[in-house]
Amino acid sequence: MISFIRNENMKIYKRKRTWVMIAIVLLYVVLQIVNLKTAGSGATNDNWRAQLEQENVQFGKEATKTDALNIEIKQAEKHIVLNEYYLDKGIPPSTNGWSFAVSQVRNIIFAVSLISIIIAGEIVAAEFVSGTIKLLLTRSASRSKIYISKYAAAILFGLMLSVAGILTSILLGGFIFGFNGLADSYFYVKNQSVEEIPMLQALLAGYVLNIPFLLITITLAFMISAAFRSTTFSIVISLLVSLTGFIIAIAMDGWSWTKYFVFSHTDLTPYIYGNPSVDGVTLSFSLIFIGIHLAVMYLISYPIFVKRDVV
Amino acid sequence: MSLLQIRDLTKKIGNKVIVDQVTLNMDKGEILGLLGPNGAGKTSTIRMIVSLMSKSGGQVLINGTDAHANFEQTMKHVGVIVENPDFYKYLSGFDNLIHFSRMTPGVTEVRIQEVIALVGLEHSIGDKVGTYSLGMRQRLGLAIALVHKPSLLILDEPTNGLDPAGIRELRGHLTHLAQKEGVGILISSHLMSEMEIMCDRVAIMQKGKLINIYKISDMAADERTQVQFEVDRPDLAVQILQTLMSGDEITTDQRHIQVSITKAHIPEISRKLMEAGINVFGVHAVQKTLEDKFMEITGGEDH
Repeated sequence: MISFIRNENMKIYKRKRTWVMIAIVLLYVVLQIVNLKTAGSGATNDNWRAQLEQENVQFGKEATKTDALNIEIKQAEKHIVLNEYYLDKGIPPSTNGWSFAVSQVRNIIFAVSLISIIIAGEIVAAEFVSGTIKLLLTRSASRSKIYISKYAAAILFGLMLSVAGILTSILLGGFIFGFNGLADSYFYVKNQSVEEIPMLQALLAGYVLNIPFLLITITLAFMISAAFRSTTFSIVISLLVSLTGFIIAIAMDGWSWTKYFVFSHTDLTPYIYGNPSVDGVTLSFSLIFIGIHLAVMYLISYPIFVKRDVV
Repeated sequence: MSLLQIRDLTKKIGNKVIVDQVTLNMDKGEILGLLGPNGAGKTSTIRMIVSLMSKSGGQVLINGTDAHANFEQTMKHVGVIVENPDFYKYLSGFDNLIHFSRMTPGVTEVRIQEVIALVGLEHSIGDKVGTYSLGMRQRLGLAIALVHKPSLLILDEPTNGLDPAGIRELRGHLTHLAQKEGVGILISSHLMSEMEIMCDRVAIMQKGKLINIYKISDMAADERTQVQFEVDRPDLAVQILQTLMSGDEITTDQRHIQVSITKAHIPEISRKLMEAGINVFGVHAVQKTLEDKFMEITGGEDH
C-alpha cells in the first residue's frame, strides 16, 4: 500500500505545476502579513487603552445596526467582551508570529482546500485522459488499492500543505512581528465570558478542528474525478461548491436551516472554544452529518471506479 | 496445464454480443496471434483477459487460476502492452519504470537495470517521456511489461504507428522471449504479414466469434497451391496442360502459366512441358498467404 501512495506522491510532486500551487498558498500568507503590517497592527503603543475603548464604541454601533448579519453582531459582541477583558486585566493586545498563525489557520485551510481540489480533481481523471489508466489497472494491484492510495495521497497533500502554510505563518509572522508570545495565552469567549488556553493548544486545535472543510472539498473533487473521469468538470464544480458553501456558511451563520447545511459544520472550533451558532447542534451531530456526506460520496464514486469497463 | 485458458468468454453490452463464447488455450513459449477485422472483438477479448473489462460469461484461467477472482495473484505473471503506449509525460522514463515496478512486489534494482539494457534505453532513460519518439515509448512499454518477469505477455495492436524498423525490433524481442525464456505471447494485430512471420498459431475472430485457429506451419503444407511456370510458349503449354487436367483453372499471361495443383504434380507437369519442346525457365509455388486465408475464411466481409 505504501508503495502505491509513494507512486501517487511522485506523480504529484514531480510536476512543476504543483509547486506553483504551493507557492500560491505561501504567497497568501505573505500578503496577509503585508496587509496587517500596513494597517499598523502589531505595534503596541502607549495609548492602547484608548484604542480598545474606541474599538468597542465602533463594535457597539455595528452590533445595533438594523441590517447587520447574525455573524457581524456575534463577532462584534465577542470583540467587545474580549476588549473589556483586556482593559480589565491590563493586558495590551499584541500581534506576534504565534498569534498571527492562530488567526490565519482557518483561512490557510480554506486556501489549501481550493488548491487541493485541483490535485484531487485530477488524480483519477487525468489517468483516463492520458491513457495511463490501462497500464495502471493491469498491474498486480486491485482497483480498491489504487482508489484508496489516490484518495490518501490527495488528503495527505491537503494536510501537509496546511501544515506548511501554518509553519510559514509562524516563521514569516515571527520575523515581522517577533517570536515572543508562545508563552502567552489565547483568549476566547465562551458563554459570554472570557477563557484562556495556551497558544500552542489554540494553534493545534485550530488546525484539527478545521480539517472537516478540507475533507469535504477534497472528497467532493475526488468523487467527481473518479466517477466521471473529467478533470475540468471535477475542478470547476468542486471549486464552485466549496466557495459558495464557505460564503453561505458565513453569511447565513445562526439561521436554523444551516443545521442541515454541511458547510456550517466544517469548522468545529465553536463546540470547544466558543458556542455553536445554532442552538441544539452538538459536536457529535456535526461529526455524524459530515460522516454521512463523506460516506455518500464514497458510495457514489467507489463502485463506479471499481466496476467500470476501461475502453 | 495451459498457460492461458479461455472458456466460453462472452461480453454483452445491452443486447449486443461483442464477444461470443470464445474458447482458447495457449501454452508456454507459444506466440498466438489474434486476428480479425475491426469490430471483431479482439480488443474486447484482450481487455477481458486482463480485467480492464468485466465479462458477461465464461472464464479466464492464467496458470490454472481464475484471473477475475484472483486478479492480483494472476496479474503478477502477466505483462501488458496496450495500443499507443501512454506514460506520464512529465516523468522521466526511469520514473515511469520505477512507478510500474513498485506495483509488483519483488522487482529488484538489478532487474530494472537489466530491462533498461534489454530494450536499449540506457542513454535516454533519464529524459522526460514527453521528449520520446514513438519507437522509444514502445521500448519503454516493453521494459515496463517485462520488468516483473511475466510468464504471459499480452499485446494489443502493439505495432500501430511503428515504422518497419520498430516492428522488426519488437518482433526480435518477442521471438527471443518465446523461444529462450518460454514466455507465452498473445498478440492482436491487423498486420497479417507480421503475424505470419511471428506467430506459431493464429486465431481468427469475426463478429465476436472465434471462427478458426490455425498453425502457421500447417498452412504451408496445404494441399493445393498455386504453381507458376515460366515458359517461352504459353499458348502451347496451356494446350498440353488442358490434356492433363481438364476443368482445373489455368491462367496465363505472356510468359507465365499458373495452375492450382498439389506439390506432387510439379515434376510430372514440367516433364510433359519439356517433352513438348517448351522451355521451362522457372517453377514457382505461390504460397497462400495468411491474408488469402483470412479473406477466404471471413468471406472478405468487413474488410
